[in-house]
Amino acid sequence: MHPELETPEPQSMDQEPAASETIQQVAAEVLETMFFTAAEVASCEHGWLSGASCARIRFEGSRCGEMLLGVSVQAVDPIAASFLGLDPMALTDAQRGQVIQELSNILCGATLSNLWPESKLALSSPELAAWQEWPASGALHRCFAISEGMLAISVRLIPATPPAASR
Amino acid sequence: MAVSSLVVGISDCKVTRDANSVLVTYALGSCIAVAMHDPVSKVSGLLHYMLPESAIDSKKAAQNPFMFADTGIPSMLDALKAAGGDGKRMIVRLAGGAQVLDSQGVFQIGKRNYLAARRILWKAGILIAGEAVGGDVSRTTRLEVSTGRQWVREGGGVERELVRNSKGPKRTEQA
Amino acid sequence: MPYSVLIVDDSPVMRSFIKRVLGLSGFEVGECREAGNGEEALRQLSAQRVDIILTDINMPGMNGEELLRRLCADGVLKTIPTVVISTDATNERMVRMIELGARGYLSKPFTPETLREELERVLGAGDASRA
Repeated sequence: MHPELETPEPQSMDQEPAASETIQQVAAEVLETMFFTAAEVASCEHGWLSGASCARIRFEGSRCGEMLLGVSVQAVDPIAASFLGLDPMALTDAQRGQVIQELSNILCGATLSNLWPESKLALSSPELAAWQEWPASGALHRCFAISEGMLAISVRLIPATPPAASR
Repeated sequence: MAVSSLVVGISDCKVTRDANSVLVTYALGSCIAVAMHDPVSKVSGLLHYMLPESAIDSKKAAQNPFMFADTGIPSMLDALKAAGGDGKRMIVRLAGGAQVLDSQGVFQIGKRNYLAARRILWKAGILIAGEAVGGDVSRTTRLEVSTGRQWVREGGGVERELVRNSKGPKRTEQA
Repeated sequence: MPYSVLIVDDSPVMRSFIKRVLGLSGFEVGECREAGNGEEALRQLSAQRVDIILTDINMPGMNGEELLRRLCADGVLKTIPTVVISTDATNERMVRMIELGARGYLSKPFTPETLREELERVLGAGDASRA
């Protein structure tokens, strides 16, 4: 990350009145535009998340935080195949993981750019991770239903770490 | 020579290379019309399908593949190739996919139909050259085989030609 | 003569997506090179020139902004048209990249057709020299 970026002030996602609507609109747009899949907000029943494919991505700049994306196991192949234009049978495990990571990258960048278009933003490389249930206070969370399964997105702001040596 | 109209019904598809023909389909609500035209051979096709996925009724799909996107579009491409069309040259446009309440009350079927077409065509290696989709209006579309030009009428409005828009998402343009 | 393209993105599947659009867009693509960050891109460019560079911004090591800065500072490399393809759609970043010489800026998500149109706009400008 770049040391010249401003030191941000701690804030909370639930202090951002447009955050909920933005994440819903962005998730729908991303999934329709590049994954050709319709997504609708769904009720949160998290039993499926323990087996889900998940990616975590961090962001810095005007605000620091992280996003977690969870994709239900039955939805991974359809989503990856749709993005790559392949038959699900032709997918490799590497491609499955990379598509989930790229989906988290697009969701995170598009959400933050829409929410705070005048901000400074830098994203880390997304990493595959296990799902974590963050405390409800301060974090924004939504579950989405797609025809093949479920998606879950959580976003939270965290206090900035002191500028480190550049990568 | 007189132009002949080939009418494509619901869950139907017609393929022709007769340069005197115009392929036309009516009453596109949540259904999608897929129009394809090979500018070299003039082989052209028009598909009008109702639902995105055949898995809900594979027996019906076997009887009539044109009812569903995932059986109809591949069948249409096969028919076009059999008639001498080249899949790589096809100019493809979409119309329909409006948001209407169908008799079963399944919402967003128009959007799901549209996304199914996009997904199947992307997998088949085909990019779209124009589209008139969404909203809540019924549409009629016709494809002129001799030229590959296509027009769409939305609701009771004026007929407009479907062309590529250099600014991004395709819109109908005033003819 | 076919176009030579360099795709710079740390995501292999994003590079595949872009490559697929290139192949379906009607351009005759002779060689499609790939790099995972700015440093790899510069190494590729020192070996062979390309007709267009498509670059992400957020990448480990040298990011897309630094890559553009280096291209801008090179008398030869700055003539290669560069299009930014990024999930970062913040105004400041977009302005900065255009000021650094980016010919286009495509924010994710985008449809394959939108990328095709951007390529047509940039490559059809008439002043892109071929490799």
